[in-house]
Amino acid sequence: MKCENVEFEYIAAPDELSIEAKTHIESCAVCQRMVDQQMHFNKKLTDVLNQPVPNNLRHSSREYVQRNKVINWSFPKASLALAASVLLAVGLVRVNLVNDASGFSVDRLVVEHFEHDGARSMKASHVIAPTQLTELGHSFGVQVNLASEVSFAERCPIGDSYGLHMVYQFKGQPVTVIYMPDIQLTTTLPFHYSGLHGWVKPLEKGSIAVIADSDIDLPSEEYAENAVEWI
Amino acid sequence: MGQVKRKELDYERLVLVYSDELFRYSLWLCRDKSMAEDLVQETCLRAWKSLDKLKENSSSKAWLMTILRNEHARQYARYRPEMVDLDLDLVSLKDTDNDTSSEAFALKMALNELADEYKEPLLLQVICGLSCEEIGRVCNITKGAAMTRLFRAKKKLRDVLQAEEG
Repeated sequence: MKCENVEFEYIAAPDELSIEAKTHIESCAVCQRMVDQQMHFNKKLTDVLNQPVPNNLRHSSREYVQRNKVINWSFPKASLALAASVLLAVGLVRVNLVNDASGFSVDRLVVEHFEHDGARSMKASHVIAPTQLTELGHSFGVQVNLASEVSFAERCPIGDSYGLHMVYQFKGQPVTVIYMPDIQLTTTLPFHYSGLHGWVKPLEKGSIAVIADSDIDLPSEEYAENAVEWI
Repeated sequence: MGQVKRKELDYERLVLVYSDELFRYSLWLCRDKSMAEDLVQETCLRAWKSLDKLKENSSSKAWLMTILRNEHARQYARYRPEMVDLDLDLVSLKDTDNDTSSEAFALKMALNELADEYKEPLLLQVICGLSCEEIGRVCNITKGAAMTRLFRAKKKLRDVLQAEEG
């Protein structure tokens, strides 16, 4: 294969190289230099083209579609509160990783999770023994002060650490609460998506998320202050 | 799961996964953030309305980009002659301010000057990650033509960048 053909292939579509072109590059110093230069250029080009995306883009697009379509949106109620809990935790990792609270991207993961893990989460919902909740809380160094019956509690991965996510009954409806000791926030973030609403609030140590179906009343934000107590 | 519910989830998954690419592609087509957002919204609505026509999930990204491209042509292309002037271009360039280096500015200027037939394949590849085959389908050209346009577009931009670096 000639160098000029390899150059054409590489510049046009570096991710779709033929085997012949790859083999040629491995043994051709001229083409290796071309690849190095082109990689530098591709990096610059990608940086310039990948502009920041408005934080509310998906929300505004969703509202626009809602206003203009015939069929109304509705999502399963109790199931989503539970299914979203894991997602909320995972989504918050993104907040932490990008170090930008305004880039709250939980919504991106909710639907995916519901498809992949919603059924399991629903099946896992059951009344748990108070001692189990106590033990779980202690493993996070906290005492959980939820007044009502907790129907689900699990230690779930949050990035490089873990969070304590629970579902409890508030006014007879399931509300998801997640304590994340290693996720720091500076301000309380609202959460509205896919028939869910809630908020994530910074705490003295970490943060706490409260989320439920849009039709379900949420406890007050002050509630979060008292939901967990450090031992 | 009901058919409507299934459709809602399919639709939401599409928007969640591809909304960033849709916006960036739209931004470079419109060169205006507000117009880009409007175009994404309209694309989402049209995607919702015609979701039943999407047969394979593997082609969903190219399908969405095609909708956006067609919608852009329908809604905005006719206004472009009035809009294209130096001031607007500069404003738009300032809007896209993730990289403020002189190289980045030169690259943005060169991108804006690039003819659509070269710019579109480039955007679809770099922003959207489409293959040459998919780019060909979106732009109604052959795979070979897509590769040629990509090659020429990148060569031209690389020359600009090298001149700036030199």
